Amino acid sequence: MSLTGTSLKPQSRWTMARREIGRAVTAAVIALAVTFIVVLFTSKAPIDAFTTLLTAPAQKVRTIGLWIDDAAKLTITGLAFSLVFQARQFSMGVQGQVYVGGIAAAYVAVSPIGETWLGLPLGILAAMAAGAVYGFLPGLAKAKLGANEIVSSLMLNYIAIDLCNYLVRVSLAPQGSGLLETVRFPKTSVFPALVANTRIDVGTIFAIAAVLIVWFALYRTSWGLKLRLVGHNARFAEYAGIKSSFIMVSAMTAAGALGGLLGSMFVQGQSFMKLTVLFEGGFAFEGILVAIVARSRPMAVPFVALAYGYLRQGAQLMNIRTDVPAEVIGVVTAIIILLVSSSFSLPDRRTIMRWLGRGADRAPAAAAAVAEGSGK
Amino acid sequence: MMELLAAIFSAAFLATVIRTSTPLLLATLGGLIADLSGALNVALEGQMLIGCLTGVLVSVVAPWWVGVLAAIVAGALLGGVMAFFALRMKADIILVGFAINIFASGGTVFALTLATGGDKGTSINLPSKSIPPVDLSFLSDIPGIGPVLTAILSGHSLLSWFAGFLVFAIWYFLYRTPWGLWLRGVGEYPAAPEAAGIPVGKVRLYSLLVSGALAGLAGAQLAMFNYIGFTRDMTAGRGFIALGAVLLGARHPVGAMLAAILFGAFDGLTVVLPGLFAWVPPEIIHMIPFIVTILALVLFSYRAQRLIALRGAR
Repeated sequence: MSLTGTSLKPQSRWTMARREIGRAVTAAVIALAVTFIVVLFTSKAPIDAFTTLLTAPAQKVRTIGLWIDDAAKLTITGLAFSLVFQARQFSMGVQGQVYVGGIAAAYVAVSPIGETWLGLPLGILAAMAAGAVYGFLPGLAKAKLGANEIVSSLMLNYIAIDLCNYLVRVSLAPQGSGLLETVRFPKTSVFPALVANTRIDVGTIFAIAAVLIVWFALYRTSWGLKLRLVGHNARFAEYAGIKSSFIMVSAMTAAGALGGLLGSMFVQGQSFMKLTVLFEGGFAFEGILVAIVARSRPMAVPFVALAYGYLRQGAQLMNIRTDVPAEVIGVVTAIIILLVSSSFSLPDRRTIMRWLGRGADRAPAAAAAVAEGSGK
Repeated sequence: MMELLAAIFSAAFLATVIRTSTPLLLATLGGLIADLSGALNVALEGQMLIGCLTGVLVSVVAPWWVGVLAAIVAGALLGGVMAFFALRMKADIILVGFAINIFASGGTVFALTLATGGDKGTSINLPSKSIPPVDLSFLSDIPGIGPVLTAILSGHSLLSWFAGFLVFAIWYFLYRTPWGLWLRGVGEYPAAPEAAGIPVGKVRLYSLLVSGALAGLAGAQLAMFNYIGFTRDMTAGRGFIALGAVLLGARHPVGAMLAAILFGAFDGLTVVLPGLFAWVPPEIIHMIPFIVTILALVLFSYRAQRLIALRGAR
């Protein structure tokens, strides 16, 4: 099964979209069913817990704010993974990019510049630059030396976490306070809220803009065409005169800039407004799910992020209000990734017919077409 | 500087290295088996983590060896899940591996919360057992080097010795048995063994099962000897470092052992350094194994590329 879900046979965009949505929804239903069974065995009030998981995020303005904020961040990490997946690189470095981006944004925000109107744009730019450098390193090591990008990017993640712990403790936290966080950033360095008293801030607009920019770059520029060609068949792209190593490195660098932006959205956004140690908490990796379910299509990423963000927020609220820990969402995530990335598919018309005991050969041509579409 | 050298070449440090290397070595051997069969096992981290928790929880109610066996079975089960989705359902094995890692980091905390009745951090309140050390203090009777030998070799986990034996066993299996040849053939060029009638899918399935089992065993060593008890995300990247060790070890069991010992030595340094150099920040010391892994990977890739260039291949 390819990462981008493009089959050789040209199909109507809507047919494909419908099939993918069907697969994703079925996978989510299966994952939730498994989770329900787990909750049933472990919770004292399983029905309450499950109702909270499914309904709580949409009930109050405040929780809707949490949900939208989560979805905006998931969109960015999903886009970062989509970019590298489209180039068929498995750079897993978004987590590290988020940390270095957050550190860079925090340095700008606590400096004197942070108190001027320059604080916000410079913070974002610094974060994106730091993230881009951090994404560039494993790309360079892979292109020049063939060093496995999975291992190097994962190692960089751990290094960035330690770096953040160190810098916060030694230089960013107020001297002598013993706190593991910075002071609250000045107002000029914080993303303005779009809806008062919620966490919905300018970051949401950045997320939407990032979707459009990544879509344009991938599908309307020659760079994007080359990138997708490299992802489909690097050797063919090389024969066609495309420098695949340059494309790989640039894709990883661009994804790194997105990771850095996410770092700035974390620390400068309404949710934190300061840099704390371990602020990311494994969030970045959830972009893998978003990218996979969206088939690495930028336009599909925000919708997947909205749906998954809802579940994520539901799990957090379930954690607070009932006896089921939020970590149960890890089970849902894993099952959805496993199902969607595999060749698991909805039973097509022929299979249903067979189940119903009817003849399978009633429309051989149509059946063959379906089989070819779902078999790839 | 002298204190550092003295500390590194002391018997106590060598003993520490053996201890820190053992889980790395077991996981590296697991990664090696999967890698040689052509399936990169990025789920080592998650399999180890679940092995840790399984070993700890089972050993609360059962003898230690049942805990170890349970960890092995848990790892192998996850290997089976990987094989099912990657081989039968044609999912990308790297994505499957990361799904397992996500499942492990969430699922272990979930299970830990249930087992401890609400503690999300550690299993410190559960009376879990440990793997018994092998007492070789009779070596002290050897005149001269006896006490040093005792200090280095005595008191290690049973699994440390087993891991050393496994290096030999896996080498023998890979290079001296027909099944080892099958496995390497499947990883090298699957079409050829396929044509020769070797069940490629089955070979990969078994290697993923063994790979997961070894990662589970590594987890057992980590949570039942190196540390007693489970803490959240206690593997802390060791599975990924093992993945680097497979590549660094030139995909050979002995190389894997040397790489695991190298990374284990730097892991051991993080234990020794704080006592010697109080001025080095603990966060920087904590980074050392990861930095070394990257450097080793880059240097090794550079060397491998030079070799290819020298041979004029490709």
